[in-house]
Amino acid sequence: MDSELVPPGLTYLADNIISRQNILGVTKEQGARWAQKLDLPRQAETTFFAGCGYQFSAQLEILMSLARGIDKSVIGAELPMRFARFQKKLGLNLPGIYSNVLSLSMLPGKEEVKPLEAAIKVLRNLGIQPGYLAEEEPCCGAPLNHAGLQTKFADNARQAYEKLKSFRVKQVIGIVPYCTHAVQKLFPLYVDGYDLEVRHFLEVVAEKIPSNKLRYPRKVKVTYHDPCQLVRYLSLVEEPRLILKSIENIELVEPDWTRGEWATCCGGGGGFETVFPELSQVLAVNRASELLETGAEIIVTHCPGCIMQLKDGLRELKIDSVEVLDLSQVVATAMET
Amino acid sequence: MKKTSDFKSYKKEIMGAAHDDRLRLALSRAIKSFRSNVKNALEKFPHTVEMAEEVLKIKEAAIPRMEELARQAITAIEENKGKGYIARTADEALEIIADLTGTKKLVVKGKTMTGEEIGLREYLEDKGNEVYETDLGEFIIQKMGSRPMHILSPSIHVPREDVARLFSKIMGQEIAPDSDIADMVAAAREYLRDKFFRADIGISGANVVAAETGTLFIIENEGNIRLATGAPPVHIALVGMEKLVPSLGDAYKVSEVTWRYANYTIPSYVSLVSGPSKTGDIEKVTTYGAHGPREFHVIFLDGGRTRLAKYPRLAQALYCLRCGGCLYECPVFAVTAGHFGDKYFAGIGAVWAAIVDEDMEKAASIAYTCLTCGRCRERCPVKIDVPEMIIELRKLLAEGDSA
Repeated sequence: MDSELVPPGLTYLADNIISRQNILGVTKEQGARWAQKLDLPRQAETTFFAGCGYQFSAQLEILMSLARGIDKSVIGAELPMRFARFQKKLGLNLPGIYSNVLSLSMLPGKEEVKPLEAAIKVLRNLGIQPGYLAEEEPCCGAPLNHAGLQTKFADNARQAYEKLKSFRVKQVIGIVPYCTHAVQKLFPLYVDGYDLEVRHFLEVVAEKIPSNKLRYPRKVKVTYHDPCQLVRYLSLVEEPRLILKSIENIELVEPDWTRGEWATCCGGGGGFETVFPELSQVLAVNRASELLETGAEIIVTHCPGCIMQLKDGLRELKIDSVEVLDLSQVVATAMET
Repeated sequence: MKKTSDFKSYKKEIMGAAHDDRLRLALSRAIKSFRSNVKNALEKFPHTVEMAEEVLKIKEAAIPRMEELARQAITAIEENKGKGYIARTADEALEIIADLTGTKKLVVKGKTMTGEEIGLREYLEDKGNEVYETDLGEFIIQKMGSRPMHILSPSIHVPREDVARLFSKIMGQEIAPDSDIADMVAAAREYLRDKFFRADIGISGANVVAAETGTLFIIENEGNIRLATGAPPVHIALVGMEKLVPSLGDAYKVSEVTWRYANYTIPSYVSLVSGPSKTGDIEKVTTYGAHGPREFHVIFLDGGRTRLAKYPRLAQALYCLRCGGCLYECPVFAVTAGHFGDKYFAGIGAVWAAIVDEDMEKAASIAYTCLTCGRCRERCPVKIDVPEMIIELRKLLAEGDSA
């Protein structure tokens, strides 16, 4: 009973979550591929909750660039979104087929170490051995909440909780800001007797990091972009800064005004990018420009949505001398040297 | 499928604004100066932050009692020999004001968002009156045939060259596009000067009202409201019911927090108006209509506010002091101005459209344009949780009221 008032971009994500337990509607095996060589145990008291955003980042990036192209044309993004949803109802899944093809060309090891592998490396280096549910990992369903489909979100939350419990999970280490917020703050509103201890990767790392000697391979100026969910929903303001400042060779430079609680959104919040693909890009360019004013060589952030947006912002500005990296990648690199 | 086309035209409007470089330039300057002014104002008067917490408590207690406070204020105003009214709907408010005004009158208006909300100027013009907006920004908007793009700075999106062109056209004197802003201000002053003294009626809003004495607190910098509510023989004030607080002390606190968060250390003028002008200087006989208005009418508008007050998570929209600070923090507003909104703007505008105006399609367009990034909440003196309201509103839109 989705209301006609919910934009098609969001109902598309919602359908995918309900039917396939991920925002793209592809197979869960594809999402789990990143961890193939890491030998993460499935059964463990502490599970690493990888989330859709990082697992499908490459596919999402390409789909967003398609959506933006269409949104800028006379067609607009609504019609294709409705069409994609209609195809799924008929049993076709073009975006799914598309990302299947896509994933074949993206075998692990071909590119730099991805944020998720980096995060596991960091946790292990700090003496934490998490498990990973791979294709059994439930979807947090956060986009359902953002679409306004609370009843479906609540159902999904209860199922996700049962799933985690069936693997005897006691602690969750979240990494995607949206997922972590959902599992930590929203699930307890809908699940009776909710007893999972949920922490964000940053909290875990910040707690252990001072005892380690970290060194980035070269002297760099980095700036940090606070993801909205981390800074204003989970209040993780000091943790990322503490981590970055503990790394030798890194100089942290920040915008005068738009940092911490006052950080500007990258333009990719809560499915906004699927409803307003083009406007979302305008906002990405604005945020990238604010961060460039610091003179940083690397923009560090810690959210798959922000990474995608900021990369796109830099691309639009034709800046190729500045990199966008996940905080986990920076820490992992600093642990190698 | 009316909705699709509506959303499409809304999106087109939004994107048109987002690609307007002049709008972007005007806004980025305004945001920069707002942030530095508000920082300065709060550093100079650091007690404001604590006072804002008090104001939140005042509003939390006052909003559920709006109607009772309105009745109390009306009693006080009538003891002061003014007249008070409760208007249930926008139409009722328009009717009361139109009856008081009549036709073929000259009306001078101070800026009132509540007036914009009910379309007051247009209504009075349709009834055959000559109506002048006297706030400079609002005057520009009226003459351009445009609509306000910010609650405090309605013409925030109009660069000075456009103002010069407009003034040259309406005032019959050439104002060069590169003229000083001071010359444009002087031209408006000259144009409007005699209107204040010829006017039959002066109309204003109010920033806050003390129920115990029926006193309106009106904050301004230009001085146009002092003239518009002081010179004509009749003063009519239109006030949203959510502006009522119990005491003069409460009203003062709300006022100080409002102007401070609106980026002013202190505004040039704060008028406290409680009744018509009077004198007892000849034989101690009280006589009304000395130098100020002989008549004073206050209309308290419900117009859906008591309905909104009953929604647990949405009622906080009524705490809004209309300082406008949140708008300067909104990343979408920074590129679209008031196109992201309806009668009120950004997230709060969505709540207003849904519950006060009961226009669910408009509400959906605005609600799904909110990033839920939450920076507005950081700025808000009364900590209105816009993301929380937006998620709740989307739930109402997607699942209906009962779900």
